[in-house]
Order: sequence, then C-alpha cells, then structure tokens
Amino acid sequence: MHGSPNPLQLAAVCLLALASAVLPSFVGNAYVWFLVNLILTNIVLALGLELLIGRSGQFAFAHVAFFAVGAYGTAILQMKAGLPFVPSFVLSALSAGAIGMLIGVPATRMRSINLALATFAFAQGVTWLLGYWEGLTGGPAGMTVSAARLFGHEILNDDQATPWMGLIASGALASVMYLATSKLGRDFEAIKESEHAATVSGVHVHRTKVIAFALSGLYAGMAGGMLVLHRSFLVPDEFGFTTLVLVISMLVVGGLGSIGGVIIGVIIITMLPQALQMGMREILVWQELVYGCLLILFMMFMPRGVWGALHKAFARKGGA
Amino acid sequence: MNTFDLVLQATVSGIVVGSVYSMIALSLVIIYKSTDVVNFAGGEMLMAGGYLALLAILVLQLPYALVFGFVAFVTLSGGMLFERCVLKFIARNGSPGHNGMVSLVIATVGLSYVIKGFVRIFPYTEQVHRLPPLVTGPPIFIGNTIIQRQDIVIVGIGFLAILALGLFFQYTLTGKALRAASENPRAAELSGIPIEGMRTLVWGIAAAITGVAGVLLAPKLLLTPDIGHIVVLALAAAIIGGFTSLTGCIVGGILLGLIENFVGILISTQAIEPAPFILIMVVLTFRPQGLFGGDVSAKKV
Repeated sequence: MHGSPNPLQLAAVCLLALASAVLPSFVGNAYVWFLVNLILTNIVLALGLELLIGRSGQFAFAHVAFFAVGAYGTAILQMKAGLPFVPSFVLSALSAGAIGMLIGVPATRMRSINLALATFAFAQGVTWLLGYWEGLTGGPAGMTVSAARLFGHEILNDDQATPWMGLIASGALASVMYLATSKLGRDFEAIKESEHAATVSGVHVHRTKVIAFALSGLYAGMAGGMLVLHRSFLVPDEFGFTTLVLVISMLVVGGLGSIGGVIIGVIIITMLPQALQMGMREILVWQELVYGCLLILFMMFMPRGVWGALHKAFARKGGA
Repeated sequence: MNTFDLVLQATVSGIVVGSVYSMIALSLVIIYKSTDVVNFAGGEMLMAGGYLALLAILVLQLPYALVFGFVAFVTLSGGMLFERCVLKFIARNGSPGHNGMVSLVIATVGLSYVIKGFVRIFPYTEQVHRLPPLVTGPPIFIGNTIIQRQDIVIVGIGFLAILALGLFFQYTLTGKALRAASENPRAAELSGIPIEGMRTLVWGIAAAITGVAGVLLAPKLLLTPDIGHIVVLALAAAIIGGFTSLTGCIVGGILLGLIENFVGILISTQAIEPAPFILIMVVLTFRPQGLFGGDVSAKKV
C-alpha cells in the first residue's frame, strides 16, 4: 500500500524551488520578496502544525515554542558562537525537534483539552523565558540579528534570501508529501480516526504520537531558522498566543488535512492583514473587527476550508 | 510588617482575585462540558462586561446594583445570539467530529477579535479607565491585615453567583436538563430535552457570569481592550480543577490566586507570570486528568 506522491505535486514543488531561485534576480520589488519570504516561512511553520493537528489529530499548542527555539537558536548560534547559517539552522531545527519529542512523551498521555492546555502552558513559559533571559535573547525589547552567512555570501535583503527560503520550503513540502504516503503517515491518520482501532491494527500509538511531536517540532524549528534568514530583528511577542492563533486559522481557513489547504490558508491569512492595511489606511482601527468577522464568516460558509470548497465545486462540475 | 502579616495579606488578595478566576473558569467549563468547545473569547467577554459597566455608569448613570443586572442581561443576550447565529450554523453545515470542533473553536477566536475590535473603534477606549470602587469606606483592619471593603463585595458577589449557579444546576428542572444535555446529548434528546436550546442557554449563562466577573474586576484593574489575556489564568484554574466540576473551578481559581500572591512575596514578583504555566504543566504531568477530574477515558471509539 505504500505509494509515492502524485508526480504533478512533486513537479509543482520543483517549480517552486526553481522560481524562487531564478525570479528574484529579475523582478526587483523588495516588498514582493518580503511577502514571498513571509509566506514561505509560514508554509513550513503551518506544515508542522498540520502534521500534528490535521493529520494525527493531536491538539497540541506548543508549536510557537518550537518556532521560537528555531529562530532564537539560529540567531544565537550565528552571533554568539560565530557559526555560519547552515550549521546553526540545522542544529536549531534538530533541537526544536528534540524538545518536541521531550514534550511529546508526557503530552501523549493527555487527551483533548488537557493536552491543548498543557502544551499551551509550555509555549507561554517559553515566551516568558525569552523575555526574562536578557543576556541571551535581548529580553522583551528584542534582539538584532546579524546578516546570515551562507557559503561565504551575506544575506542582506529579502530577494537574496528568497532562493534559500524556496529551497527549504520545497524540501519541507516534498518531505511532507512523501510522509503522507508512507507507513508512518498512515499510522498518523489511523490514530486520528481512532486510537483503539489503531492499537488493534498493530500501530504503536504512544511511539507514533511522540514521532509526530518530534517531526512537528522539527518543521517549526526550520521555520524559525527561515525567519532569521530574512529578518534582522526578533521579539519574544512574535512567538506568543497571537501567532499560534494565526497558524491555526491558516490551517482551518485553508482546510485541515491537505497540503494544498495549508498553502492556500497560509497565503490568505498572511496576505489578509497586509491587504487590510493597504485598503484601510484611513480606518486602521477597524482592522481587528474586520479580521474577526472574516474569520467567523470563513468558518460559517467554508467549514472545510477554501481547499474543501474548491474540491466540492470541481467535483460538482466534473459530475455534471 | 513581618512575614506572617505578609502571608495573611497575600492570602486575602489571593482569595479575592481567585474568586474572580473561579467565575471565569466556571464559564469556560460549562461551555466546554456542554459543547466540547474551548471558548477563546472568554477574556473578551470579561472585557466587554467591564466596558458595559463603564457605559452604564458614565452614560446611563445607573447605580452599581442595576449595573450588574444591565451587564448580565446584555452579555446573556450576546452569548445566546452568538451561539444561535454562528455556532449553530457552523455545527449544522460543518464537518462532523474533530475537524468540525476546530471550526467552532476558531469561530470563538474570531469572536474575540470582533469584540476587541468593536471596543477599539470608539476613540474613548484609547485611554485607560478605571471604574469607581464598588463600595466606598475606610478599609477594615484585622490585626495588621488590611481588607478593602470592595474586596469583601467582590468575594461575596462572586460566591453568590457561583452558589446560585450551583443551586440552579442541582435543583431546578432547567438546570437538570442542562446537565443531562451535556452528560449524554443523545439520551437527553430522547427524553424530550431540547438540547439545541440548552446549548444556547449555556452560552448565555456562561457569557453572563463572565460579564459580571468583568464588572467585579474592572474597579481593581485598569480597563483596556487588552484586559482579555486574563482568560489564560482562568484556563489555568479550570485545568487545575480538572475541567469538569464546579468545585474544581472554585478550588482551582482560589489556588491559583493564592499561588500567584505567595510566589510574589516569597520568591519574586518576576516569577508571578510563569507560575500558572509551571503549575499547569506540573499538575498535568503527574495527574493528566487534573486535580478533580475523573479517570481519563477514551472518548467515542
């Protein structure tokens, strides 16, 4: 039963890598590349959470903490240990994965609401620590990140970062596609459907959940590293509750349970505040209200997300 | 002041804030029990209660006794309206099970943005406000411990509200129906309980109790549109209490209030902020079902 991903999807991923490698040299709008980098970072971040919430059905909220470990880890290794970007990135992503695994061990004993809140508490604790540990993180005021060094080049602006971001994001996307068709991916879904049935069918539930936590942490850590690649400043608030809610809304607006849904959700939720800011310069105070209303309307009229709605529309057309 | 007096004083403040945490925790728990949804707009409902009180006092010039009624009525209607128009709609059209539940939770997140955004529209809320004290008069001294008169009223009203709710759930027909509906919706429906209506009512009651908690808290804290983050503490209280019972909420709330205050005087004020989170993690690691929760059993095979 082990298939491999749809070749069309893999081709799309290759195209993404290629486009982000080539296009920044030709199109010169810095703002566009800033947005692209933001979206690529959020895709990797959301893929990690999708793995845990959408695929394995584990309502865990420690994701922003792993994101923070990746970002601060990469920044600190670069600046305090003088490492170049690649080893800092890899080390921090791996530590985020390891912490994810450690959290996963007690967390997998908990269910639903308690799991959500224990992991949420962990994330809040990490945000607090980032603010408190001023010597290492610069405290609540934040820390300035020096330009990343990649194979002797310094990444000074967004369009220089985009090719690397595209490479990492494509790697993450391709790995998730392979994962989805692997035995492990099926085990994840089995646990989501029913833990009892999964156990009876020979799935090691506890171990599989811990692996889901570790992988989810790994992706979040990678996203953190990507953030450092195109950003020159980090603040603890960025890794708090608001970001968590944002990532969850990306998944739900896009449609839980599919990679296409993740990508659409990320693009919509990342662009929405930007669009609101541009379109509502005069009435900026309305932004929060409009955002909240849109979120509710999405839930009301696209319960399976935009991806699900598109699917349905195409299925209807195909049937007719 | 010696350490003993400090401890007494911390106990008093702990009980005062703790009783408000208990109220919010209770509102979260009754919603969770009857609809499986964690209400992330709880903090904003609290904030709405505070601002409604401000409106009632400054614009309508109501006395405090009527302010409570006014706020309770408005938040009750608001909560019921949200359940009826939004949540019911999503539950009816949405995907069943796990993913459907996520949509409902995200809708409450949307509600929190809507309430916060709505309050922010009024330029008046840009400044920080403080409600007038609930009662005036010199503080009461017991030994070296100072007790504000207002604090007694807060604890009093808080406990009266919780007690009233407890009696309501225990003894009235509607209360029993509500419990039945959250215990086993299928069986309740077969016994002729309109569970749809019950869910709406639960949201109303929960919103009202949070609104009243907001009125109690607003004179003590500074009122800003961002006051809603206090819901995290109520969540902590509910978790510690096991997220199932009224007693759990009261004990969890008071415990959290006390711990915050004791950590403040015995360790450092900087440690107050992470204390609830550390507490949640410790409690859940050793007792995954919370202090008062029953056995963890797998739900719905």
